[in-house]
Amino acid sequence: MALDQIFITRKFGPNAEQEMILNMGPQHPSTHGVLNFIVHADGEVMEKAVPEVGYLHRSLEKIGEMVSYAGFMPYSDRVDYLAAMFANEGWALAVEKLLGLEVPPRGQYLRAISCELNRIASHLIALGSTAMDIGAVTPFPYALRERESINDLIEALCGARLTYNYHRIGGVAYDVPPDWTPLCRAWLDHFEKVLDEFDRLISTNEIFLKRLAGLAVIPAAMAIDYGLSGPNLRASGVDFDLRKAHPYGAYPDFQFKAPIGRAYAGLSRGGKVGDCYDRYYCRVLECRESATIVRQALDKLPDGDFINPKAPKKAKPPAGETQSRVESVRGEMAYYVVSDGSERAYRLRVRTGSFTAMGIIEEVSKGLMIADLVALIASLDVVAPEIDR
Amino acid sequence: MPVSQYLANIKDTVQSAWEGMTVTFSYLFRRPMTVQYAGPEKAREKHELVQDTLPSRYRGFLEVDLAICTACNACERACPINVIAIEIEKDPANPKLRVMTRFDIDEGKCMFCGLCVEPCPTGSIQHTREFEGTQRTLSNMVLRFVDPAKPAPPYKVAKGATAFPRAVLGSITRPLVKAWDSPPPPLPIESAEEAMAHAAKKAH
Repeated sequence: MALDQIFITRKFGPNAEQEMILNMGPQHPSTHGVLNFIVHADGEVMEKAVPEVGYLHRSLEKIGEMVSYAGFMPYSDRVDYLAAMFANEGWALAVEKLLGLEVPPRGQYLRAISCELNRIASHLIALGSTAMDIGAVTPFPYALRERESINDLIEALCGARLTYNYHRIGGVAYDVPPDWTPLCRAWLDHFEKVLDEFDRLISTNEIFLKRLAGLAVIPAAMAIDYGLSGPNLRASGVDFDLRKAHPYGAYPDFQFKAPIGRAYAGLSRGGKVGDCYDRYYCRVLECRESATIVRQALDKLPDGDFINPKAPKKAKPPAGETQSRVESVRGEMAYYVVSDGSERAYRLRVRTGSFTAMGIIEEVSKGLMIADLVALIASLDVVAPEIDR
Repeated sequence: MPVSQYLANIKDTVQSAWEGMTVTFSYLFRRPMTVQYAGPEKAREKHELVQDTLPSRYRGFLEVDLAICTACNACERACPINVIAIEIEKDPANPKLRVMTRFDIDEGKCMFCGLCVEPCPTGSIQHTREFEGTQRTLSNMVLRFVDPAKPAPPYKVAKGATAFPRAVLGSITRPLVKAWDSPPPPLPIESAEEAMAHAAKKAH
């Protein structure tokens, strides 16, 4: 065998010469970041699509072992740039567990408010980009338009629009600014109308429904096997939400539903539980739930400290290990921290939802068309920096 | 596919496309979300800067008011990426006192996290709402708050003081930000001997 043939066989498998090998990415507009898929195709039908990850690796876990506990907080923003609040919260929860530190109720409520606003912002991007990847360009700027308002609210709250760095070990960095609550309430009223309009614009569009109905079905058992979490898991019909199953922070105080997939596209259109449309529509429903959570939190916002006054300026937790889990936008986000009693973590591990979602693509993509791969990636709502960390 | 199904499909598609079009059409009559960045001529005449429209907590360029800086190095220690460089020496005129000969903030490296602002005892270091600092040379992003010719003495906190007189936010940083095409600063160390001397001084 010639050298180049050996190379091709090694890289693409023994059937490489019979199949068409197509590299999708790393610079492809619909892969949501720098992400490469090696598509093994026979004509238009895929044998499989193998994700190649690692293009955005920034060794955040190693950085976490180099900087102090408080100093890692701005880095945790970069784990998932669309949902930085959750990465903040996960890190804060982990260090608080190590230190045995309590968060005052107002701090917990502010965490919930900021996180749920961030969830809406991130889901808006996911909804808009799902539509855009399929070819409907209009919803994307409309979704971004609403996201701008959330950015304005969060900017007034914590001073940044993307890398928030709002949560602190023992609470949050700032209290609610004056006149912020009515602004937030007014925006929530506006947003619920906008979601109805968004449904009219794209979610109930016949072409969109038929394009996504019954596409790339992930059965419940398979979703659990591959460790999917978050909206992707719930769309397959598994009722598992960390905010309900293992409540943390202020979530036990709120009434909300965790929407699960119910073949929303309609059986007559070929919709199945766990198809692309379910994953899309679960996110629409989650936006509504998040809005109700923010509303309840604003109503019940307790007085008091927003950060524990006993929070140490220089965190130096005792030796030990711990894990924290938060229900992030893209599934479960977990921090595993080992402390050796010094100012820095001995070992840090971040578990993210996008990485596990990448694992299932090879299995689900069997027999799909190449154009459907775009819909599958968009409906799983992966974000490249979260895959690689 | 029966003809009735075929026609029903066409009807559904046209209907939902019409529904979407009505939403799109209604956007023609709404207030646009877009904000003019540079501002029309009128706004410029009225001196309505973009910076002034930002919320007060906006984390822009850092600014130090040396008049109330106690030279405690808390900000330097809080920074996870060593953006702030402070050098404190003995005052040559009065060896009992200390002076700050250097207070540099590298805005090109800063990630605007705000961790340095929190431990400051007097509120000397703050985020301003300045953000326009495009430079052709990266080293021009370093803001030097201390003039090496005029070292700054540290501020002495009066007993029981809770409020400190601070210059208007942004008034110190704004003149320090250079024009985008200004030449790079001269290299601090020119020859090998000088580098050796500098290293020896630092080690000492």
